[in-house]
Amino acid sequence: MKIEISKAWCLNMARLEGNAEIGAGLLAVDPTSHKAPIANPAASNVSHIAFGRLIRLMRRKEGLTIENLADKVDIDVDEIVSIEDNIHHNADPRTVYQLANHFKLPKAELLQLAGLAAPKNDALFNEAVRFAARSDPTARLSPEEQAALEAFVAVLSKNK
Amino acid sequence: MTSAKKTMTLNLTDIEMSVLEDLCIKKDLSKTAVLRQALRLYQLVEVRVEKGDKLFFEDDKTKEKAEVMML
Amino acid sequence: MTPDVTPIALLNVANNMPEDAELWDGITEKQITDWETKWKPDLKRAQLSRNVTAQLDQSQHWDWRKKSQALEGMLALRGFSIVCNDITQGLMLVDTTSKRALIESQRGKDLVYIDYIENAPWNRSVLYNPPLYSGVGSILMRAAIALSEEEGFKGRIGLHSLPQADKFYIKSCGMTCLGQDPRYHNLRYFEMTPEQAQEFINKGS
Repeated sequence: MKIEISKAWCLNMARLEGNAEIGAGLLAVDPTSHKAPIANPAASNVSHIAFGRLIRLMRRKEGLTIENLADKVDIDVDEIVSIEDNIHHNADPRTVYQLANHFKLPKAELLQLAGLAAPKNDALFNEAVRFAARSDPTARLSPEEQAALEAFVAVLSKNK
Repeated sequence: MTSAKKTMTLNLTDIEMSVLEDLCIKKDLSKTAVLRQALRLYQLVEVRVEKGDKLFFEDDKTKEKAEVMML
Repeated sequence: MTPDVTPIALLNVANNMPEDAELWDGITEKQITDWETKWKPDLKRAQLSRNVTAQLDQSQHWDWRKKSQALEGMLALRGFSIVCNDITQGLMLVDTTSKRALIESQRGKDLVYIDYIENAPWNRSVLYNPPLYSGVGSILMRAAIALSEEEGFKGRIGLHSLPQADKFYIKSCGMTCLGQDPRYHNLRYFEMTPEQAQEFINKGS
């Protein structure tokens, strides 16, 4: 498709456009956007723990590895690893949105849990604390965990 | 992208032609435009259904879902 | 398939001089490579050099290459890009089929929906002072309008704007805001009517 645009038009419009931001579409979710600062860092840690635990358990319920999940929801593997394992990690809004869609969880609540939206009340936070406390596994290592652990320990020992 | 255009003759029944013309009026589009949109939509739906997704209509009032296409 | 190329001009902000550029009717391997090797690392660098806190230190956690593979061959989706000095300066992805106009006077009619539009990091004043080129947004909008007209949609456009771009779509593009959309992360949804499309084109003439 060829379009009739004069260079003069381009320059006139460029002057009107100036330095304006132009991003649109969910795909362009802005990595430079400023989010409101988290008021209570301690609260945010527990919230993050609950969020990470939730994602991990939902993923394992579906029998997916992190790579499988990353593929299905179109997110980097390291973002999912960070969500599940790094309590200081602040997830990207698009990531939370994709995970909410995939696991059929309510977006607003998930955003609050991930620390990306102001909590509406304490109820969700209290539930998150309860969930975080109850969901720490104490069972023996599964055969997969055992194998992965042994393989990784072997690599560490080799690299000394 | 300028792809070479190919011509096709379409044989429609009277009723089918009438439906097509109604759609043209309703959507304020030419017959070609309507059929192009239909083809594009059909492809979008097929790709999703092939992936395993389901296509639903949702009743706006009751929020009930009724499946439109099954694989 | 090689895309059609329309000669255009961008404004070099620092020296206020025009530079020749190209509007491509497509998103090709070149755009994906430029995005991977130039846009993405530049975004990361710009964030780090601005000494941003952990909260802002995010890279885009999605992959254009994978995305474009998924879009390959889909008739409903069209891409556009701007290239200047052999580097991709702007990208746009539109959907001609899935959406209909919501604004009262156009209700139910087909439109070109902008799935994605983005400026190269070095053209953004939030990241660079001064930014390199100006005009990318307007030219891509013009391309979307031209496609809309070619499709028989008379210039109708729809899009969900990122918050910091609301001003551009209201003031520069003269679009109507239909409010925040809870289905789209509360981004504001904008539409352009045929009349507004004509006004936009006339603005630069």
